Amino acid sequence: MVKRKFMEIRVLFFGVLAEVTQTMFKHYRDIASFNDLMYRIRDEFPEIIHYNYRIAVNSEMVNEDPQLKNLDEVAFMPPFAGG
Amino acid sequence: MIIKEINMTESILTEGPITRNTISSRLGALSENKNLGGHSVFIGQVRNDVKGLKRVMAIEYSAYPELANREAEKIRQEILNEFTDVKELNIIHSTGRVMAGEVSLFVLVSGGHRQQAIAACAKTVELIKEKLPVWKKELFEDNTHEWINENPA
Repeated sequence: MVKRKFMEIRVLFFGVLAEVTQTMFKHYRDIASFNDLMYRIRDEFPEIIHYNYRIAVNSEMVNEDPQLKNLDEVAFMPPFAGG
Repeated sequence: MIIKEINMTESILTEGPITRNTISSRLGALSENKNLGGHSVFIGQVRNDVKGLKRVMAIEYSAYPELANREAEKIRQEILNEFTDVKELNIIHSTGRVMAGEVSLFVLVSGGHRQQAIAACAKTVELIKEKLPVWKKELFEDNTHEWINENPA
């Protein structure tokens, strides 16, 4: 059996997504990849697929499918509305 | 005793409305730089819009502070690079609850002359709207609320 390296990821939800998930922070353990994290989040919060969002990893904007490391912070951000 | 100087840029975010005191102290400090000839200011305040039968009482802002400060620094660099006559740029943005009529955004751009100061101030406000990770929900008088820009897919 192939032994995989699993990660602990801290997830932040902002704006309307904090309301949809009813939380601003969540820890996920045993995450294998970004896709795995997305699968877990969509499974837990199915409504999230109805919203647009951008992703930041460790306070840097990223494109889809970023490479994650253990203890990374992944932020889900709805369209910005400052001012 | 070793006194360590911490060179940390001040956060652009402030809890609650931007007060008259804050605005007047920023404006009052302008005369310290005698080589500057033009300052352009943008003040954004919360509007009491009516939506359907409901009136907006306040806006509640939330932000991702680390990213907001990082993006604000990028905006600052972009403006200073593009507008060579602009010497300084100040941004303050509220988080938390700001009542209708109160100020939630303050932008101050200082330059040698008026043209670039005015143009740079306008561009800074547009970049803030586009790039700052800030979210707002409008709070209505009947205790309901509505997220702005939520864009359900």
